Amino acid sequence: MCGAGPARRAQMKARKEPGAVTRRQFMAASAMSSAAWAAGCTSQSGDWESLSEDQAGTLAVICDQIVPADDFPSASQAGVVTYIDRQLSRHYRRHRMAYAHGLEQAESISAKRFGHGLAQATAEQRLQAARALEQENRTFFELVRKHTLEGYYGSPRHGGNRDAVSWRMLGLAEPPVRGRARDVFSKGTRS
Amino acid sequence: MKRVNAVVVGAGAAGGIVARELATAGLSVVLLERGKWYTANDCRKDDLRNQRTTVLGNAFGPEDEGNPRVWVDSRGEANVVLPSEGAYQNNAACVGGGTLSYGAMAWRFMPQDFRMRSTYGAPQGSSLEDWPIGYDDLEPFYDKAEYEIGVSGDESGNPFHGPRRRGLPMPPLPPNREFGILEPAAKRLGLHPFPIPMLRNSVPYNGRGECMRCRWCVGFACEVDAKNGSQNTVIPSALATGNCELRTQCMVREILTDERGRARGVSYFDEKGRLQEQLSDIVVVSACAIESARLLLNSKSRLFPDGLGNRYDQVGRNLQGHHYTGAMGFFDFETYDDVGPGASIAISDYNHGTPGLCGGGLLANEFIRLPIHTLDRLPPGTPRWGAGHKRAMREFHRRTMIVMGPTQQIPTADGRVTLDPAVEDQWGLPVARLSGNSHPHTFEIGEVQARRAEAWLKEAGAVETSLMAGRPEIVSSGQHQAGTCRMGDDPHGSVVNRNCQVHDVDNVFVIDGSVHVTNGGFNPVLTIMAIAYFASDALVRNWKGTGFRS
Amino acid sequence: MMRVLRFVAVLVGSAVVVAVVGVYGASSYYTSRHGAGCANCHEMADTVGYVHGSAHRNVGCLDCHDTRLTTKLRHIAVHLSRRWPETIRLRDTDVVAMTTACEKCHEQEYATWHAGPHSATYRQIFTDAGQNRKQQLMDDCLRCHGMHFDGAVRDLVEPMNRTGPWRVVRAGFADQATMPCLTCHWVHREGAVETRPAERISVAGEDVHDSLAFFDRRERMHFAAAELEIPAVYDGATAVKVSPDRRQAICYQCHAPREPETGSAAAIHHWGVQAGSGDDRTPMGVHEGLSCFSCHQGHNENARASCKTCHPKMSDCGIDVEKMDTTYSNAKSLHNIHWVRCADCHQHGIPKVGQKQPAASSQ
Repeated sequence: MCGAGPARRAQMKARKEPGAVTRRQFMAASAMSSAAWAAGCTSQSGDWESLSEDQAGTLAVICDQIVPADDFPSASQAGVVTYIDRQLSRHYRRHRMAYAHGLEQAESISAKRFGHGLAQATAEQRLQAARALEQENRTFFELVRKHTLEGYYGSPRHGGNRDAVSWRMLGLAEPPVRGRARDVFSKGTRS
Repeated sequence: MKRVNAVVVGAGAAGGIVARELATAGLSVVLLERGKWYTANDCRKDDLRNQRTTVLGNAFGPEDEGNPRVWVDSRGEANVVLPSEGAYQNNAACVGGGTLSYGAMAWRFMPQDFRMRSTYGAPQGSSLEDWPIGYDDLEPFYDKAEYEIGVSGDESGNPFHGPRRRGLPMPPLPPNREFGILEPAAKRLGLHPFPIPMLRNSVPYNGRGECMRCRWCVGFACEVDAKNGSQNTVIPSALATGNCELRTQCMVREILTDERGRARGVSYFDEKGRLQEQLSDIVVVSACAIESARLLLNSKSRLFPDGLGNRYDQVGRNLQGHHYTGAMGFFDFETYDDVGPGASIAISDYNHGTPGLCGGGLLANEFIRLPIHTLDRLPPGTPRWGAGHKRAMREFHRRTMIVMGPTQQIPTADGRVTLDPAVEDQWGLPVARLSGNSHPHTFEIGEVQARRAEAWLKEAGAVETSLMAGRPEIVSSGQHQAGTCRMGDDPHGSVVNRNCQVHDVDNVFVIDGSVHVTNGGFNPVLTIMAIAYFASDALVRNWKGTGFRS
Repeated sequence: MMRVLRFVAVLVGSAVVVAVVGVYGASSYYTSRHGAGCANCHEMADTVGYVHGSAHRNVGCLDCHDTRLTTKLRHIAVHLSRRWPETIRLRDTDVVAMTTACEKCHEQEYATWHAGPHSATYRQIFTDAGQNRKQQLMDDCLRCHGMHFDGAVRDLVEPMNRTGPWRVVRAGFADQATMPCLTCHWVHREGAVETRPAERISVAGEDVHDSLAFFDRRERMHFAAAELEIPAVYDGATAVKVSPDRRQAICYQCHAPREPETGSAAAIHHWGVQAGSGDDRTPMGVHEGLSCFSCHQGHNENARASCKTCHPKMSDCGIDVEKMDTTYSNAKSLHNIHWVRCADCHQHGIPKVGQKQPAASSQ
């Protein structure tokens, strides 16, 4: 089945459902899930459209070196991985292979240097891995840098810059407050 | 399909005006546009997908799918490029053309801009020429464009402009903070600053409201319709005459000619991709410099084996835009006020008259910037990523000013549009192939201009500056593209005559930036509009009843 | 021949059975377990995840959302073809279809909204001849009126000129509300579940009800009131004191001041945005510093009977405050309630507090 991602699933599991699934619903669900399965809905993709769960984890680490958290969120906290993931199925489809190889390379840098994956790496190791990636595969690193900054500073509608947080960080109101009516009422009568 | 008097190809700055002028004079007109009639709602101020920042595509055409071009780089290698990539040199593909989403600076060229060769002499390797017409010929039509399309501003502080019959129809917008900082600095340097004239309502005009001064200006369609383009002025009024029919998503394949070598109409692919013919007495090509040249080159026939109007291999040559240079200034106080359009103040002191330089250009402050524009415009030495980059974004997004301007290009015959022998677009038509480079003297002028911009910013209190003056190895054209169907009296060195009529096919006109002999040190749109009015005026005067006789 | 017919009949019969079971199964499946079924299509996961953290966590998806067969089939088609949009959102027709859904539980609020100007319809807003003759309609109108409309203003109204007569051309929209509940409320909001009114109604500026959010047409998403800007407004060169009530940030999105006009004194002197310009109603004068909500009821703008929240029935001058000459008692009064000053009535000097004095001649 096309499952919700682990995080989301955990969130749902944690809550006790008021009523268990009825037999009728179960039957219907079975019928429907077989139909869905038959139609090719066998994706394992979890929360992501283009990336695997592991790839997303690796990407989040790299993105967060490019825009780390301070008193404002880091890239992944602001949804940049979502931005890149969505675009890899859309405008950046042509970069999918570059991401697949580049993320693998990032993990292998970590494994070679630190003996474990980026997920287990310390903050300092992650930064070192990012620097090493920049040296070893500049093309990919530049691509991620560009996409990360776009996601973080671009329009929230694409999944990054959640709640326009980077704009607020720069002191830019979103949406901006702009009046239109020409009349100046301060002296007039209209209420 | 019913035969009409005129087919106009391209509903941009020039095409809209031509359609309106001909329709008003009583000619039946079909206006063909390859793009759609977009509105602000089609972009909704998307920072990543508009006509200036195109990382996720162009908001106002063309689409990345099916519309490639070929760019030949300095090593001679041909690269297929997409519309959202810089090397494509895109303008737009939509009703309104570039005027739907432009920044709307409304410059007249100066009198010297029409006499570049006689003023300066042609630098070696250049194709610098004089125009066959002068500023005085265009002045009434500049005026017409300013009043009919609508320009705000105040030229009284600029002593360098050519003579003008009257002021502008609208006052300038109130100054923003950058204006307040740059104006006294310019005056201290002995310069002559003044508000930038803009095709933008500063007060209600023509039934539409004034600029709301938002953050999203150049590259975006205006939500309050305060930017005046052909899509909200001349095209609706052309349609209102009842003599003009607009057909969108229609890609013209070629100009059809008869056995006597006169045009008899065009063939085009309609919105469903079906091939159609529209017969007409005259054909006006207003498709912007690159596409106008491509259409002429694609219009091959027995009499015109190398393309229509191309007997002397002139079509597509002298491609030019503007080489932008300037400087960034970083301040220890806030210069940003979140008030659009941002670009507010200019000087024309450096357009002409510098010994050793063939012209120059205006300098002005840059349009209001979105965060995405600041990413690579930070003080020299700023880390390109990481905590340092984020810190610099926070520190400098609101404390940076940019002064820059379009350097007058020195045209060359090698900067050109040809047809690519291999690559075709979605309709199977050979695509434009762009080759050549800017003349080196253009870069020399640009570097001087950049240092002048830097000096202005330093005088305004910049604690640090950074020059923006590269020597890109690419022919410049983009949104200011011009020159490919040069206007001239000599058929051996030009494509159209002074009335924009193709030399050897008297019922085909090219009316757009293509005819510019030189492109001035100014944004070219008001000149394109003035030429459209000028050429339409001549066309209508020479129109005799049901047919055109030259 | 018979065999062929029978074969066809069986085939058709099976198809019908599959369709019935499929659609019925789909409905049950998708709506089961409070949306967990919906969330199984991962493109829906975020949307469903949000609502599980909101006050509406116990409301089923279909209690608010459209359940027509065509919608279900469309969802299935979109899912299987993987052609869902970047961000899952409601289409304008979905918003229209669910406007009355809120009423099922929030009867009182719905009724007050419905009785007030914020329930104005597309016809009322967009075919107003007085307005349309002055200025041509533009896309920016939709920012505050019809923010959920999926199209340009030309897709909504015809003709696009200043002579009219105008009519709403989008079928089914003329009598729909331009500012439905979803304009200011974020039903699938993130954040804490419902708190007690005493905790959430605060003027401290920190604790604004999570579901108060403005729907921004450009991004097609809500922005929480707590994160919206309350502008710094000026009266000439002087800053006006604005109440820190964050809820007002929603009001300011549309009741907004504007940049000074070309040629105005404010523009010449570079003063900030002016109170009372544009659509702004920031109180100045005697009411400076009051929140919009001090007098107005959010759902229908009504300010009836609000004076007595602060004022004694009789003023020091012996006049009923609700009958003083302001736009509160008389819309044509020269003294707008938002910026009436003491001196507007006391033209011969303002009496000291406690000093009984007959009012100025105007009242």
